[in-house]
Amino acid sequence: MKSAEGRGRTLDEAVDAALIELKESRRNVDVKVISEGSEETVVEVTVIDHTAPAAGSAAPANGKSEVARGLVEGLLKHMGVRAQVTVRTGTDPITLDISGRDLGALIGWRGETLRALQSVTNVMVGRHLAEGERIIVDVERYRQRREHTVREIAMRAARQVKMTGDAITLDAMQPFERRAIHLALEGDPDVTSGSIGEEPERRVVVGPRKPAE
Amino acid sequence: MPGRAAGRIRKAIALINSVADDAGDEEITPTEIAEAIRDCLELSEVDDAANVRKYLGEALDAVSDGMPADFVAMTLYAALGALREGGQVN
Repeated sequence: MKSAEGRGRTLDEAVDAALIELKESRRNVDVKVISEGSEETVVEVTVIDHTAPAAGSAAPANGKSEVARGLVEGLLKHMGVRAQVTVRTGTDPITLDISGRDLGALIGWRGETLRALQSVTNVMVGRHLAEGERIIVDVERYRQRREHTVREIAMRAARQVKMTGDAITLDAMQPFERRAIHLALEGDPDVTSGSIGEEPERRVVVGPRKPAE
Repeated sequence: MPGRAAGRIRKAIALINSVADDAGDEEITPTEIAEAIRDCLELSEVDDAANVRKYLGEALDAVSDGMPADFVAMTLYAALGALREGGQVN
């Protein structure tokens, strides 16, 4: 997999620097923040392998992913949706990527339809899975892109909290997005994250970490 | 008020999804989920569309039987779909 390191004053600048080196667009890459300071941000940008075969290296060793892929493919066919379902390689939990043209309806408002599709998939595949094991369904990398976006939002909020010392309440987010934010900030010694409100309006609050924490 | 039931069902689904996706920032008990479903059942508009009450009842049973979160969510999505077909959701 092609990857490059990017440096810049802000997260956006660092990602852009790496994208220029890779000659890629933001849509096709995975961004990992290596370090972030007030002076410089360093990221590792990896090009997503869209050509990975459906029955890739992980699939034969794990028949469950193939079963899940087949079931989702069948479900989409019944729904009259023309799309390709592939198993994302090297991921845990098993992730199914659905790609095709005009799949916005499969994502729905704030990913609601996508989330429903994932629930149905897990119920269908349930008997092939171990207890606690789950299948993640992604459409046109929507989920992955949202995770990147909210991580960037988290980093920006953390920077602002460090500058002002005031807590920031973010927009209401889905659980997987809130989780991405908590994970992105858990290693930061200066800020802390928590959530307030009730579903589906639950919001992440990023605030300064108190010395005793 | 049309849409009120849909809002409550969505809230119950969001609670379930929060358990399934494990955001790690709240503790949701089956009692809270059951309460959210009962809140839906209290509305008279769930009787305006066929099968909505039936699906909500099944979801409630699934929670008390300890069925997986995705199963409960799927049943609630079915209730939401039935409500849509009944014209209660825009």
